[in-house]
Amino acid sequence: MPASSSAPSPMALNPPSASQSTIRKRSSASPMSTATSYLSALPQADASARNSITPPPSTPALSLSSSTTDSAPNTPPDEYQELNGHLNGSGSADEFYFRAKGNGPGGEGDGLLTPLHPPTSEQVFTTVHTEFGHCANESYRFISKHPPGAPFPKHVEQDPPYYILFTTYTSYLILIILGHLRDFVGKRLNPASYKHLIPRDVSIIPLFLHLLFCGEWETAGSSCCRRVTGYRLGAVFAHSCLGIVLIIISQGYAPLNSDFDSFYTRRLKTRMDECFSQPVTGVAGRTIQILDRISPDYNETMILTGSRTRALNISSYNYLGFAQARGGCADAVEEAINRYGVSSCGSRLEGGTNDLHQIGEALVARFVGMEDAIIGSMGFATNSAFIPALVSKGCLVVSDELNHASIRFGVRLSGAHVRMFKHNDMKSLESLLREAISQGQPKTHRPWKKILLIVEGLYSMEGTMVNLPAIVELKKKYKFYIFVDEAHSIGALGQSGRGVCDFFGVNPRSVDILMGTFTKSFGAAGGYIAGSKTLIDHLRVNGHASPYAEAMTPPVLTQIIASMASIMGVAVPGTPLAERASAPQVHPGPAPPNALPTWLSLPPALSSGLEGSFRLRRLAFNSRYLHHGLKKLGFITYGHPSSPIVPLLLFNPGKMCIFHRMMKDRKTPIVVVVVAYPATPLVTGRVRFCVSAAHTKEDIDTILKSCDEIGDTLDLKHGIKRSERWTWEEVARRAVELVETAA
Amino acid sequence: MDNTTTTLEPIIIFLTRSLATLEWAFNKLPGSAVIQRYVKSSHQNDPGRTLLELILVVFAIRTLLQSRTQADRGEKHFIQFSEKEIDELVDEWAPEPLAQPLDDQTQHELDVLPIVAGGNGPKPKLVNTGKTVTNLTSLNFTGLAGNEFFKQRATETLRKYGLGSCGPPGFYGTLDVHMELERDIADFLGTESSIIYSQGFATASSVIPAFCKRGDIIVADRGVNFAIQKGIQISRSTVRWYDHNDMRSLEEVLEAVEKERQKRRQPLTRRFIITEGIFEKDGAMIDLPKLIELKFKHKYRLILDESYSFGTVGRTGRGLTELYNVPASKIDMLIGSIAIGLLSCGGFCAGSEEVINHQRINGLSFVFSASMPALLSVCASEAINTFRNTPSIFTQLQDNVRAARAILDRVDCITIPSHHASPIIHIYIRKSSGNLLHPKSAAVLTPFTPSKPSNYTSIFPRDPSWWECDIETEEQQLQEVVEEALSQGVMITKARRLRGQEMVEPRPSIKLAMTSALTRKETEKAVNVVKAALIKVLRK
Repeated sequence: MPASSSAPSPMALNPPSASQSTIRKRSSASPMSTATSYLSALPQADASARNSITPPPSTPALSLSSSTTDSAPNTPPDEYQELNGHLNGSGSADEFYFRAKGNGPGGEGDGLLTPLHPPTSEQVFTTVHTEFGHCANESYRFISKHPPGAPFPKHVEQDPPYYILFTTYTSYLILIILGHLRDFVGKRLNPASYKHLIPRDVSIIPLFLHLLFCGEWETAGSSCCRRVTGYRLGAVFAHSCLGIVLIIISQGYAPLNSDFDSFYTRRLKTRMDECFSQPVTGVAGRTIQILDRISPDYNETMILTGSRTRALNISSYNYLGFAQARGGCADAVEEAINRYGVSSCGSRLEGGTNDLHQIGEALVARFVGMEDAIIGSMGFATNSAFIPALVSKGCLVVSDELNHASIRFGVRLSGAHVRMFKHNDMKSLESLLREAISQGQPKTHRPWKKILLIVEGLYSMEGTMVNLPAIVELKKKYKFYIFVDEAHSIGALGQSGRGVCDFFGVNPRSVDILMGTFTKSFGAAGGYIAGSKTLIDHLRVNGHASPYAEAMTPPVLTQIIASMASIMGVAVPGTPLAERASAPQVHPGPAPPNALPTWLSLPPALSSGLEGSFRLRRLAFNSRYLHHGLKKLGFITYGHPSSPIVPLLLFNPGKMCIFHRMMKDRKTPIVVVVVAYPATPLVTGRVRFCVSAAHTKEDIDTILKSCDEIGDTLDLKHGIKRSERWTWEEVARRAVELVETAA
Repeated sequence: MDNTTTTLEPIIIFLTRSLATLEWAFNKLPGSAVIQRYVKSSHQNDPGRTLLELILVVFAIRTLLQSRTQADRGEKHFIQFSEKEIDELVDEWAPEPLAQPLDDQTQHELDVLPIVAGGNGPKPKLVNTGKTVTNLTSLNFTGLAGNEFFKQRATETLRKYGLGSCGPPGFYGTLDVHMELERDIADFLGTESSIIYSQGFATASSVIPAFCKRGDIIVADRGVNFAIQKGIQISRSTVRWYDHNDMRSLEEVLEAVEKERQKRRQPLTRRFIITEGIFEKDGAMIDLPKLIELKFKHKYRLILDESYSFGTVGRTGRGLTELYNVPASKIDMLIGSIAIGLLSCGGFCAGSEEVINHQRINGLSFVFSASMPALLSVCASEAINTFRNTPSIFTQLQDNVRAARAILDRVDCITIPSHHASPIIHIYIRKSSGNLLHPKSAAVLTPFTPSKPSNYTSIFPRDPSWWECDIETEEQQLQEVVEEALSQGVMITKARRLRGQEMVEPRPSIKLAMTSALTRKETEKAVNVVKAALIKVLRK
């Protein structure tokens, strides 16, 4: 980014950007300047939005400071040079400055770079529209909460018509047959390309040994070749053909990947590679820039063309929209980089712990409502490295059949016995528990040392939510310990963002272990485990990560602290709230000011907690809107309506690729995640939308419209009868009604 | 009689007719002839054969329909209980507490754990005491922690990419800076390709099971680190152990494995040698050329963990391959730590295209984890640039290592197992006599017979001297040394272990990490403090 260091800095749009003339001045994050700019921001925004003609019918100011839409009159021309999204790869201009003037990717009016409706004088946005969309209409909000007393919505996996099932199975059959045919022919016509699947460097030394063994070996040294190639060869083969073959192939390198094991990858996944591992650049916010690529040889190799396309991002786990390069959190991270550097230099127990770890852990504990918490530097490793310290041989782990790979990894390392129950099925769980407790350990029938139930708060492929109230009820009788993996639910569910416990109104202390990750809602990386002080101290010493894995780095920790504090809100010192917050447990309550690093100063919008709750309510609205919208359009979706993960069932493997491509090639490109076997059952291939608070209602409209059109083309609408379906216009018009009335 | 025939007649006629219709319909079906022929040929006028076939079909259907979550009621150990009995058993059952409180010693060690206030570096300030100390603990070998240029690059990247990548590499989590870092690492080492993981510790335990499957053969060093142990455990491969850092023992084991295989006439399986460049457990260094010779001779693939040697040894920090002047491409899977070697976060595996692409689908913690934050990736790339441009940091590091060893080697109450060039220096307490057997270790101890080699199926060596010690006392003594040194202004640490979870209990040791951020003088001064503390405590 040479431009940013030499030319005027593009870091203008921090919340405290005081005026248009100072828009390019990098601001410090001191509280005073923030407060000043806070006050001066209103007239600035007014001036910048003076040209807007149509004031939308809404609403009060959400937050303050200058608008970051298309009103930057003094942006130098060179910043516009890459409007067409065709960057030269050097990244000379900050993509943040691209203001589409009708010829940007997707053209005018796609709403990707600029909002469709320019903001009015009352509307002031602190965020960059490409990262966090501007949405001022207060009716597009919802509170994520399970209505008390309401029954747990049972998850029904809706079946498609039989012909869909039939064609899906047939497609797989054809793919498999074709794959084997290609292998059969290919191995004979083009053996070179199958080299990695056959043993290589096979030695002939064992052949000689074998001759020796057979007593055919008389002289040493060079004569061996003569003998082998000479007349005796035939005789030797006649003697023990089988023996020779066995010995020959057992010397050399076996293929890294056996023919059979790699069949799926080679012959099925490769066909879909276009949908996976798409390289991207920039912030994974509301929009994302994909690096365009082509494949000249049927996905064997991918070539980057050098151009980029900005697309609407409904794929990243950015639930609360904290993936931002601008704003209070990013400012805090910058401050942390300057104060702490980027590395923590070592593991937690060997000189890698710093004060931010302590602050972060205390804050996480307070956030989730537990006594204490421990932070690990990688989400996957939080499960795989801490579960073995919780259970061991003689313990039973009862695991939901759809649990994440990291949980399975950890449980396998622990040596505990594992039993699985049917996904979210409390009856299956109870009968399993009754059997397990009454039977005891296999063979010996000794009682289990402890039973740990591991469930996920929100399942990442299904969008289903755990039936936590029922599990807590079962715990009373069966005395197992509950481990809830909140990787996807923390921050994304509940009226104050505290995850499934908050959503169902369950006291977090009735759960024993709460685990979660920071990758998703907090826009950071890593994970945590929260529980009682005894438990966490035990993990601090006995968790695999504690002595061996690198500690979390300061920038990441700061992002977590800043984003978490802005969800919680920070109590103002001196008010009764702050005094109360210093008492051991106020949950869910604001963070006491002394729980944050002294140098950290969040802008008022964040520290008041207003923006946190604004994000939560936007996420809840968007989730429910997309979920119900898709249902009304006639699609089959899975999962809980309040879940930000919305899977749309595609079934046929062929439709996955084409759906992905059609979404990407639209006027407003949309990038989606398609998931197929083995991540899902064979038939239920799906596209998985991950809704974010950063999306505006218009973005969801765009997605619904795209799905509607593509759904008609690809015959995807099998959810409800044609007569009951709505058009996408009707869905968009009655969005608020949909979100609020539907169950 | 006659009466019954007449009453049954319509029924019989109906049956015959419907049978004929069925047969006709069946024959109309495409492919029915094949089934018919198959049934006929399998039947061969023997109802027993048909019965057998039927049983097979039923069995196949049952296996297919059997749910993964079904209870194993059919097992012979299953006891039938009534509901009431189950309720009683459930009421009776009392689980152990989820976690036991820590014992006093461990709790004390946790309480006095030094916590750095602010940025870490050669001379950090501690939260516990408020004092500034000399740091011989943190892994800052090249002294790049807190580097201003890195901070600047990190900030620039932050403003372009934000912090988190918000997705696994497969689903829009592959950033261009990740691909650049992968290219940089591959270029730097001279391999075809490389792959980055988002945690150093999770790398080895993910790379190993990506390649080693059930039935494959792993020949591993007895002193490998915990991450490798866990990787081996999860791979479910057949493991053979050779004596720690002993190439002769390795050769013997390789030959023994070959013999065993010939004897059993096993089919060709993948075979791996797994070891470390500089061992995390004691700082010993392997003889890489010899290892590579053996690997090629016996046709094994080599998984080499260079976590502690990449970015620390060699003229420009390329690790053992540079030190021994061996092309890195001869190592099939070269694992390194970005967190340790490049002062950022994460780990990598370098190797051929085939090896790397395999991991992109099969490396568990690559596939299922979010990718590394962009700014950490950029800082790692910058670290590589710095290594290329300023090899002097490695001369400085080696100078400091030599200075430290010059002092420590003369202390008679300790032994140092580490290699002379190793930037981590482990310090063992020299044993007064050989009888200090820990009761726990004694139980698994096999009698010492020097004439016979160790049993390669067990990780425990036949020669117990390697690990025989009184762990508790030594840990306590070393903790005293650590606290004594800290009070004198030098932060050092014991090597922290997961007692009870490691395959072999490692000997307690003090682990010093040298850094080129300190001058030779400063290093000497700090190591002299350590020496004084050692003498003071151990001579008591």
